[in-house]
Amino acid sequence: MRFRFAAMLGLGVLIASAAALGASPVLKPFERGTWQSVLKGHSGRPTLVHFWGVTCGPCKVELPLLGRFAKDHPEIDVVTISADLVPNLPAATQSMLDKAGLSSTENFVFNDGFAERLRFEIDPAWQGDIPRTMLISREGAVTTIEGSAEMADLEKWSAQQLSKH
Amino acid sequence: MIRTGALAIVALAFAHGPALAQMRAPPASEAACEEPTLRCATKATPAFGPDGTLWLVWMAGGQVSVASSHDEGRSFSAPTQVTTKRLNLDWGPDARPKIVVDRKGGIALAFSTFRDEAFNGEVFYTRSADGGKSFAEPKPITANKESQRFEALALDQDGTVFAAWLDKRNRIFAKEAGQKYEGAGLFFTSSSDGGTTYAEAKLAREGTCECCRLGLAFAAPGRPVAIFRNIFEGGVRDHAVMTFTDIATPGEVRRVSHDDWQINACPHHGPSLTVAPNGTYHVVWYTNGKARKGLFYAHSRDEGRTFSAPMALGQPGRNPTRPYVLAGPKGTVIAWKEFDGERTSVHVATSRDDGETWSPPRTISNTTDTSDHPLLVSNGGQVYLSWMTKADGYRLIAIEDQP
Repeated sequence: MRFRFAAMLGLGVLIASAAALGASPVLKPFERGTWQSVLKGHSGRPTLVHFWGVTCGPCKVELPLLGRFAKDHPEIDVVTISADLVPNLPAATQSMLDKAGLSSTENFVFNDGFAERLRFEIDPAWQGDIPRTMLISREGAVTTIEGSAEMADLEKWSAQQLSKH
Repeated sequence: MIRTGALAIVALAFAHGPALAQMRAPPASEAACEEPTLRCATKATPAFGPDGTLWLVWMAGGQVSVASSHDEGRSFSAPTQVTTKRLNLDWGPDARPKIVVDRKGGIALAFSTFRDEAFNGEVFYTRSADGGKSFAEPKPITANKESQRFEALALDQDGTVFAAWLDKRNRIFAKEAGQKYEGAGLFFTSSSDGGTTYAEAKLAREGTCECCRLGLAFAAPGRPVAIFRNIFEGGVRDHAVMTFTDIATPGEVRRVSHDDWQINACPHHGPSLTVAPNGTYHVVWYTNGKARKGLFYAHSRDEGRTFSAPMALGQPGRNPTRPYVLAGPKGTVIAWKEFDGERTSVHVATSRDDGETWSPPRTISNTTDTSDHPLLVSNGGQVYLSWMTKADGYRLIAIEDQP
């Protein structure tokens, strides 16, 4: 199902409705503390976290490749986080995720006007450049790829994760 | 670039956190409010007029407005709205409206909008000839409709307004030829009537990074100089300067430093440049390269042919960002932001020997919510920090002399 919103208010209404119905929210707000809950929620599972944004040229190229990766690797948890500065644009964000085949992954959008604070919780050294991908192993070891990821590197990491178990 | 580290996964108690956060879903905004007033501005850019009046242009509530202050920013005139309707102004981290005020008090402005859902940009310009009481209807700075962003303005001694921006018009030709198009072109134009009309846009350099602000100044009368994040061979996004031979003739690309930041991404973090009266170029920039990471300063005394060794700025653990440099009447000043997880602070360092030595950094302002980039502005006698903050509003702070 495809949703379009005019504003974050719309996002809030949708999320509230989805939560009430017990369905998975389409786009989740990423706020203070969300990063720790993401880590906790995927603890013990190999997880790929992708940071991107609707105005980022290289992101537009990479996102569909990531969509294919997610489809081909159901054993890897894929999480996307739209980390553009506000005003975050849920309609454009959802549209790009849909086109990239990432509708069913766990998708967040930055929802704090103080984006520096959100980034600091994730990585104090991160200054906001996107795309950016964090590969988190079952053991919690993190590999950060700054800029567009090479799909071959993702395949290699994925194979390593599976070979351990 | 790949970096590996261990992450301690802290199992915090979020029994209700995510659910409550989703239910609340407050509209996130960098702005304190949504009206076109200064209090609601996310980006504010200053310039002093010849009579010492401070002029400020800002974007707030989808509009661009201008006001002036005769008391060092403590109070402002009733704002003049430059735009007549709410626009989708370019809200990219490095975008902001630009202003120059000429010797006759004429005010030239430029700003950019997103003109479609693909976030292609369009640069507009306008001018006030009546001391900021009114502005002409904003017009596109170029007829081309592909995409322009990150415009910059600089004022020559004779009143010529020089404009440069990043422009993706040539990507359509690359696409037609089946070639890869990387980054954007550095385009420029100038106005000999104070910003009322501009000459046809020209290409200075293809293959520059597409999402970082430019720095612009004059090396000498009739000779603009720009600093920009270039894309060097192998996708290395290091900085370069270009000094124009004259107002219409680009010069060669000269590398500022070999940081070796190979990245296919949008750093959203552009450089700053100022030229001292003796011709020294002072530059500051951000990099995350193999050779160095963080904020850096360097100077050149030969129009960018060679630069001094990069000098690191800020505390590495405090995420130093958004450096800005200005050669003032009593010396050169650098400002930047740092963040400790809760509070953003602005730090400055000053040099009285043309960049050879620098004072220890000192903190001159801080805020507890989001903020604009720190900017420096001079009235010819004093350098000020100009800083828009969400929590505390607009601040203009005189930077005292260093011992």
